[in-house]
Parts: sequence; C-alpha cells; structure tokens
Amino acid sequence: MTGPPAIHARDVRRVFESRKGFFFDELVRTEALRGVDLDVDAGEIFGLLGPNGAGKTTFTKVLSTLLTPTSGTAEVLGLDVVRQAAELRPRIGLVLGGERGLYNRISARENLRYFADIYGVDVTSRDRRIQEVIDRVGLTDAADRRVEEFSRGMKQKLHLARGILHGPEVLFLDEPTIGLDPKSARETRKLIRSLVADGVTIFLTTHYMFEAEELCQRIAVLSRGRIVARDTVAGLRKLVGGDRTIEVEAYGFDDGEIGRLNGLPGVSRVLSEEFGPRLRLTMRVRTNELTLDAVRGLLANHPELAVRERRTSLEDIYLDLVEEEAS
Amino acid sequence: MGARTYSRSTSLLAVLRLSVLTFLADPQWLVPSLIAPVIFGLVSYELFTGAGPWFVLYAILGAGMMSMWGQTLYGSGWATGQDRHLGTLEPTLTAPTPYVYVVAGRVIWNTLAGLIGGAIVFVVVAITYGHPIPLANPLLFFLMFVFVIVTLAAVGVVFAAAYVYTRYAGFVQNVGEFAFYIGTGCMFPVVLLPFWSNPISLILPPTWALDALRYLAIPGYQGFSWGFWWDMAGAVGTTCVYLAIAGTVFHRVERHVLEAGDLNDW
Repeated sequence: MTGPPAIHARDVRRVFESRKGFFFDELVRTEALRGVDLDVDAGEIFGLLGPNGAGKTTFTKVLSTLLTPTSGTAEVLGLDVVRQAAELRPRIGLVLGGERGLYNRISARENLRYFADIYGVDVTSRDRRIQEVIDRVGLTDAADRRVEEFSRGMKQKLHLARGILHGPEVLFLDEPTIGLDPKSARETRKLIRSLVADGVTIFLTTHYMFEAEELCQRIAVLSRGRIVARDTVAGLRKLVGGDRTIEVEAYGFDDGEIGRLNGLPGVSRVLSEEFGPRLRLTMRVRTNELTLDAVRGLLANHPELAVRERRTSLEDIYLDLVEEEAS
Repeated sequence: MGARTYSRSTSLLAVLRLSVLTFLADPQWLVPSLIAPVIFGLVSYELFTGAGPWFVLYAILGAGMMSMWGQTLYGSGWATGQDRHLGTLEPTLTAPTPYVYVVAGRVIWNTLAGLIGGAIVFVVVAITYGHPIPLANPLLFFLMFVFVIVTLAAVGVVFAAAYVYTRYAGFVQNVGEFAFYIGTGCMFPVVLLPFWSNPISLILPPTWALDALRYLAIPGYQGFSWGFWWDMAGAVGTTCVYLAIAGTVFHRVERHVLEAGDLNDW
C-alpha cells in the first residue's frame, strides 16, 4: 500500500430497529453490520461480495454518508463519514442503480444538468462535462429522451453517468451491471477500468463472481454483517484450500470413501452436494502431487464414476466462505 | 474536472428549472393550477353575487387562497414526497447542496405558480362576468397577495421537512387540507368558528395574511383582529416562526433519516 487508505473502517456496526404489532409494541432489532473492519487503497478496485442480506448495501451507504453507523468509525479520503459528511460528499460518488433514483418525466440530459448543479459542477464547463459522461456511458443517442422511455439497462447507465458527473475521487458502485445485457455490462466494466486509470478508487459490490475476479485487485466477503475473508483472489484461493478443484460424481459415496478422499495428499477439504440421485464431492487441493488417476483408483468400485479437474473459481471460494460462516 | 463546492444561486436555479420542467411534463398539475382556480372563482361568484361586490370579493379571496393551497403549500411538501417515491431523495441528500436549498428552490417556483393560480381566479371572474372585481387599493393588494403566498410557502417548508422525516407526511397533509380551508378563514370568517378552535387558526400564518388582505381589499371590512397592521404583525411573526422551525428542523430531520435509514422507503 502506498499512502493512506482511501477507505478506512473500524468496528462498524449498524442496527436497524423497527416496531411491529397492532400497537407497535414489539421492537425488532436487526444487526445488519456486526463490526466491519476494512481498508481500501487509493486507486484500487475493491470488491465486496456477499449473499443477499449480508449487509453490502448498508455498508456502502454508511461509507457514502447516507446512513449513520450505530457504532464504530469510518473514514473516506481521511474524512469521517458522520462528522465531516459535508466536506466528503463533493469528493465521492454513489451509484445505487435500479429502476428508481431518476426523474422519469424529463430527459437524461436534464437529469444530469440538475444533478450537476446541485453537485457543484462548474457551470462554465457543465454542458461539456454532461456530454462527456453521456458519451462515456453510451447514451449519446438517447440523451434527450425522457427517462420513462428508458430500459432498465439504460437507466443503469444513467445512474453511472450521474455518479461520475462531478469527478469523484472515490466511487461506490452497488451492483453496477445488474440488468445490463452482456455487451453493455462489458462496456460498463471497461468504463470502470478507465475510471481507475484516471485515479478514481472504486468500491464495488456485485453478485457476479466473474466480474469481481475480472475487475478487483482485492475482494472481501461479507456474510451476515461480518467480513469473513479479505485478500486478492489468489490469496483467497489459498485461504479456502487451494488452486485446484477436483470433482467426483457418482450414485452415492459412503462415509469411509469420503474419509479416504479427505486423507489424500494435498486435499484441504471435501464438500458434498446432491444432484438428483447423484452425489458430487468437491475437493480443494493445495498441491500438484494428487492425480486424477489416484482419485479414480480410490473409487474404482463406482462404474459410473465421473472425475474432472478445474481451477478453483472465485465462486467456489465465495460459496466455501459463506457456507463456512453459516455453519 | 468539476468544482468542489456548491453555489447557492446555481442550486436554487437548478431546482427552479427542474420544478418548471417536471410541472410542464406532468399534466396532472393542470388541475390545481388551472382548473381548480377557475372552478373556485366561478362558484364563489355565483354563490355570493347577490350579496354585493365586496362580499363577492371576500369569497373570491378565499377561493383564490384555496387554489393556492394546492400549488404553494401542498406543492412544496408534495415535491419532497415525490423525491421519496422516485428514489431521488438519496442522491439529492448525498449532494453537497444542503437539502434546505432544494426545498427553497421549490418554494420559489410554487410561490410563482400559486400567484398565477390566484390571479387566474380574478381574471376568470372578470372575463366571465364582464367587469373587473373592484379593489380598494390595487397596488398594496398585489404586494399583500404575494405576501399571502409567502406565508403559505412557510407552512409548505415545514411540510417538506415532514416529508423527509416520514413517508406518512402526505396522510397528515391530505387530512389537514379541509381543516386548513376552514381554520384559516378561506371559506367563512374565523370568528364564526368555535372559540376553542381560534388558537389553531392563529398559529397558521395564512389566517393573518388573508385577513390583512381582506382589510386592504374591502372597504369597512371587520376582520378577527384589530385592523390591518395587527394582522400584518401576526402574519410576519408566525411566518418567521415557521421559517425558524423549518431551518432548525431540517438539520435534525436530516440527522434522523440518516440514523433511521428509511430514505428510500415509500
């Protein structure tokens, strides 16, 4: 790491309280964040992964001054997100995406003009800047159409245009490619990479593992309000037990066989998953010593046995970590 | 790259521009801004025309006030409710421009629109019945008319804060609409209301301002206070109180919603 982190969070907790019942007498407490520690370097693309309800959006909102943490501290660009929110806001951008968050009855250009003015974009360069971001996100032909005529993907692009309009130093992207067709999603990822080349720090939440793997220098996995792992993709592979994944599939395995697979050299863990009548065992393997023939030899009494090897994907890592946390 | 701070005037103009664009793009606003004033004006004239020109004016002033409610007071609060509905409250609140300026810009627009709505009542009655409505002091009347709208806007700003605070603010505003018409003396004199309701009327700035307007417009008018200047003092005082409440409340409301995390709820 060179220089101070762009994002620095320590023991961030967030509890939501709501009242239920006919007389609102039942207090319901939901712990969305349970002590999150995180540092993001300036100029990197940092990915935050996690299942639905893990706390990703809550944490993104805390960092972008939209939500006050119940306890703990968070700083972005050295500014406290609660006490120095006013100084911080001009320097960050937030893209929450989705169908909402835009004025539907006016054009994309008018939306951007409004947000440019309240986000403090210099009026002398405003129109040029608006055209620049419109072109950059690929909305050139639709810029003067009403937003209500836009597809979900076009709205997503407009959200992105608004997020980068004022030239933020840190950009928070919550599911930026959700709803986009493959071509648009690829263009968006290209745009994200180009922003980093311009010196912008990107904090990205996504459900798409390939996207995180393709874009992010480092990744954190958030599960039930807690960071369960954070590292590079290579580092996470080591953490979950290796680069190699060997899958064996047959009509059932007994406990003795699973135990013997676990005892093979280099095997760090064996996970089992049912596929209809078949059972798949997924083995994470740390070393190159173990061959597929050795596995086949061990399970030779299964004539219908299928054995294959692949590289441990980020999705494997993610599922391992989340399941481990859940158990 | 863009500047790092917001400009108050640019922000106000931006909100004003957005308000005009959304107004022109949304035909439903024709009802409070054009159709309602015409109906209120014509109905008032027909109802009270036999009671003499000054009584007609009394009624038309109330009708104008009711049409301005929709545009000025209701519009100021409603626009913030729309921000919740559209999900634009979150990106607006993360902007460097304090939200109170966004509300202020909308109030300016709604004030202008309310002025047009009120004027429509007079014009429609004058054109339909072939003679202008008599005014005791036209210039002062016009200035006072603008001031009445400012008092409505002051209440509107407080409603806007309520809309930021909770998505249920619209319920209170809708329920209060008819009570507002009666309580402020739009429909009939406040003195006709039961005594216990008078304090409620007196804490509403438009009650004082409308009474002052009638003092100005109608010779020999006997309002609920001791004359025009008492009404003015009451109107200015209560308007200042509402604006002070709005100024204080907005910071607290913003803090509250950031703690509650329900900005996107609708």
